[in-house]
Amino acid sequence: MTALAKLTTVELKLLAREPGSLFTVLIPLFILVIFGSSIEPGDTVLLPMALAIAVGLVGLYMLPTTLATYRERGILRRLSTTPLRPGNMLAVQLLLQLVLTVVTCGLLVAVGVNVLGARPPGAVWAVVVTIVLGTAAMFSIGLLIAALAANGRSANGIGVLLYFPMAFLAGLMQPVDQMPVLLARIGAYTPLGAFRQSLQDVWTGGAPSLPLLAVMTCYAVVLSVAAARFFRWE
Amino acid sequence: MSVIEVTGLTKRYAAQTILDGVSFSVEEGEIFGILGPNGAGKTTAVECVEGLRRPDGGTVRVLGLDPGADDRTLREQIGVQLQHTQLPENIKVWEALDLYASFYAAPRDWRELVEQWGLADKRDARFGKLSGGQKQRLFIALALVGNPRVAFLDELTTGLDPQARRVTWELIKRVRANGVTVVLVSHFMDEVEELCDRVAVFDRGRIVAVDSPDGLIEGTGAEHQMRFTLMAPADPGTLLGDVPGVSGVTRDGDQVVVTGRGDFATAVTARLARHHVLVSDLRIDKRTLDDAFLALTGRTWEN
Repeated sequence: MTALAKLTTVELKLLAREPGSLFTVLIPLFILVIFGSSIEPGDTVLLPMALAIAVGLVGLYMLPTTLATYRERGILRRLSTTPLRPGNMLAVQLLLQLVLTVVTCGLLVAVGVNVLGARPPGAVWAVVVTIVLGTAAMFSIGLLIAALAANGRSANGIGVLLYFPMAFLAGLMQPVDQMPVLLARIGAYTPLGAFRQSLQDVWTGGAPSLPLLAVMTCYAVVLSVAAARFFRWE
Repeated sequence: MSVIEVTGLTKRYAAQTILDGVSFSVEEGEIFGILGPNGAGKTTAVECVEGLRRPDGGTVRVLGLDPGADDRTLREQIGVQLQHTQLPENIKVWEALDLYASFYAAPRDWRELVEQWGLADKRDARFGKLSGGQKQRLFIALALVGNPRVAFLDELTTGLDPQARRVTWELIKRVRANGVTVVLVSHFMDEVEELCDRVAVFDRGRIVAVDSPDGLIEGTGAEHQMRFTLMAPADPGTLLGDVPGVSGVTRDGDQVVVTGRGDFATAVTARLARHHVLVSDLRIDKRTLDDAFLALTGRTWEN
């Protein structure tokens, strides 16, 4: 097996052993099932919310905590003395967190549609584009946290601290139509808010709104560049 | 052949000069010690040699290559154990070794290393569950798994109990016996004295001496002392005064104190035996690297 394949295998095992990954799957699933028992058939609100929660958890919690911990423990530094460079570890981590996102989203959609009777998404391409951009935006926040946090614990803290206001503004804690207009409007310009709204648009059968896609793209590009600029290997 | 050549190595952080024109070379097959108190620049120097840090001045060559040049051929041939590194809590011992072995073109069989370093019964244990000594041995095994020509070991016995240190020392000697050049960073005098063929003594960003441990001790001109009690009356002054290497014979109560340089103690005991003089309570106070360090820097080790 090549070094990269072996690294991916070992990191996959570590991800599976990490209790955090289980929570990342279980928390949105739990919310989906609890609220899903009282939805009407063909519901278009709950699944976009659950998906946004899941992608947010991976991007804001799993990704930055893992990367900052690896730096804190000197694992990236140790790798840079081997023929394999630490950049490979970054790539493998991004790939695996992406896999975690896809698996979680797939599970949520399967349970939501088949078990709870929620409406299946409209155009598949629109869902894929939205999830890709939303994931890119959330991951870029995670990367920036990983770049700036001093260690794994503070990355974790920053992630949690950001998650709640973002989830609130995104309408994940109460429906947007019950929120003050100003907050709801601000929420649409946050990465998680744009993501949830965009998902809901495509779920109801509409086309994704270009401004919302643009908001996510902007966050993804600007924050990734900032993360790359500030990232330290040690 | 010189495996490592360092010339005029300089490193600064902000206004502070960490390394100030450090030069040394390491020969193939030796255990080369880098000794000095904390903050003397030892680790920074070694990290420049490993390619982890970029020097501000001077040149570094390892196996003829520039470690700063991001050259895979060099990293294939070195093994590194770093201070303050950890592995993921949940990785198993065998997984870590198997993974690191896969990074190299021609690795060693990690199963052999597991046996050698006494980790066989911890093969399936997770890193987080290992004791300090087991972690340390795993790190050394990881440094050797790529089958390196040069191994860098930074503070290798920190955190080990005295018996584990002894065992580790024996294993390091075996590493050298296999032809691996070892660079050993340490602030333990006894470790350096026991293991190293040559030592560079660091003090405040400079090298104050490079020599064998014995050479360092002798070079400072320090005198050794031997003490004993005569079991029958005799005049030690006339008996021992002209023994080669002896510089003084005095009495301290009923004890005789002989000072001298080099291997004078052997000559003294031979002379005593030849004259059938029996002694008891024989004690030899050899000078140590501590004394050498004091002589070289004008400071004691702790300060």
